[in-house]
Amino acid sequence: MVDFVQNILDGISVGSAYSLLALGFTLIFGAMGRLNIAYGPSIMIGVFAGASLSQDVTGSLILVFGATLFGTLVATLYVERLSFAAVKTDAVLASMVSTFAIWMQFDEIIAHLFPLRTYAFHGWDVATVIEIGPFVIRHSILLNLVIVFAVVVGLRFFLYKSYFGLALRAVTDNRQSAIVSGVNVARIVLIAFILAGTIGAIAGFVIAMGDGQVTLKFGLWATLKGLIAMIIGGLGSLRGAVVGGLVLGIIEAQAQWYLGASLREVIVYALLFLSLVILPNGLLGAKQHVHRV
Amino acid sequence: MDPYTISVLSNVALFSFLAISAWLLMLVGCVSFGQQAYFAIGAYVGGLTTAVFQMPFALAVIFAVLGGALSAILVALSTLRLSGLHFSIASLAFAEFIRSGLNVIQYQRSVDGYLTGPDGANGFRDIRWIFDVGLSQGQYFVIILAFLLSVIVLIIGLSFGRDMMIIRCVGENARLASAQGINPLQVRLIMAGASGAIAALGGVLYAHMTTYIEPAQFSVMIGVHALAYGLIGGLGTVLGPVLGVLIDIGALETLRFLSSYRMVVFGGLVVLILIWRPRGLLDETFVARVKTCLRR
Repeated sequence: MVDFVQNILDGISVGSAYSLLALGFTLIFGAMGRLNIAYGPSIMIGVFAGASLSQDVTGSLILVFGATLFGTLVATLYVERLSFAAVKTDAVLASMVSTFAIWMQFDEIIAHLFPLRTYAFHGWDVATVIEIGPFVIRHSILLNLVIVFAVVVGLRFFLYKSYFGLALRAVTDNRQSAIVSGVNVARIVLIAFILAGTIGAIAGFVIAMGDGQVTLKFGLWATLKGLIAMIIGGLGSLRGAVVGGLVLGIIEAQAQWYLGASLREVIVYALLFLSLVILPNGLLGAKQHVHRV
Repeated sequence: MDPYTISVLSNVALFSFLAISAWLLMLVGCVSFGQQAYFAIGAYVGGLTTAVFQMPFALAVIFAVLGGALSAILVALSTLRLSGLHFSIASLAFAEFIRSGLNVIQYQRSVDGYLTGPDGANGFRDIRWIFDVGLSQGQYFVIILAFLLSVIVLIIGLSFGRDMMIIRCVGENARLASAQGINPLQVRLIMAGASGAIAALGGVLYAHMTTYIEPAQFSVMIGVHALAYGLIGGLGTVLGPVLGVLIDIGALETLRFLSSYRMVVFGGLVVLILIWRPRGLLDETFVARVKTCLRR
């Protein structure tokens, strides 16, 4: 029982980062109705930019975060311009494959600029722990939770209290009527990408700090986890993205503890497959995604 | 031909199977990230047949194709009703399930005093059928090519009857198709089975060429590549995905002088192609134009 609860705590810590990634995916998917599989690799660009500063100037976390944010935003905007703004509006597949091509570019640029396999990413000393009874709570859990909470509250405020939020929700609900109502869709989409990039940078920063290092696999990892968390929670739902990330983190932690690392993957993907078949709308998604022709 | 050219061309042919399989599903409006699963199933089933159970290669091909088609149909029965992105992620989940499952599965038997068979993440060694029967690399390439050409001819043959039109109609607008008396689910199910069979055929040929397979070779990256090939080459004809593979592998080989920047150049090229022609180089309009030219 102690193990079980401890696993949940660890799962929440990892899962909160998944939630952030899923939020970014959901924002872009909502605004464009298309998948940006280069989202993870874009964050990787930022994380490596942060890591390059983290090697030389230790201690200045704001600078490291600034570099992470800058790198992620530049990469995100590059993707937005080439794979979304420039591609014809009815070509959903072309956009996705185009982001894949850009992913390949990012991978190679990073592999070229950072020839070693792993780079240290210094952050707060998150290894220290608080012990409450039998449970070990890492500082990183608290930090992650605070950050996720702040991002979710900020995002909610932004989406429901500002003109931009109203416009973005209009574009998400019905692009055509948003255009007719005089919403500048191109600008709103651009802002949505910037927002998703910012959330991604925060997620990347938190994850890299928690791991203490970054590797070339970050891009694939972030894209997979974010996509899966988004789908588990329910496509198009921001609340679902948060819940999906936490659920994924907890399931992974439990499976890892009770079954080991290699069986963990088998179980997680089997569960994902089954949950898609049984609950295609996800845990909190809108009903209407199953079409029976 | 020198061995180098043959090995490059063999790779082009083998990836073409995977690309055609993803392309077939795209035609009926299903975007699959998971065709590498059937490629893996074909490779492992084929390897087990010849290396572990010492049965002839022809049986390996038959078992692999049947295994690929059956598993694809079983998966499709549960996922085909899902819409767009959900179908894609379900196919991805299945493929990753297969890949991580192969990481755990161990089944080894003693053949001629050596242990052979899948050994989890360590892979499956010694699928040595081509050495046992003494085929050269070039001769084996001819076998691969023969299989690939028969698949291509078969698919081109579909466009002479109504079949291809029915398939494209389902992909273009499923509701319209059912108004025409076509059952879209049935068409998609058949296509899923066919694409699983084609991917598995590529897999069994791949396993016998490399003689060594491991789960890591069947990652998501391969599946997304397969999808990209169809869209770069064009959705208009079955030659599209083959052209996509040729462009990718060909460009990678010729851009060697750019050494470490070739993916940057190639990725940029793909992005530009997709801006210019969102349905690929050989898209439907292009194919229709060529056909009218030929009729004159």
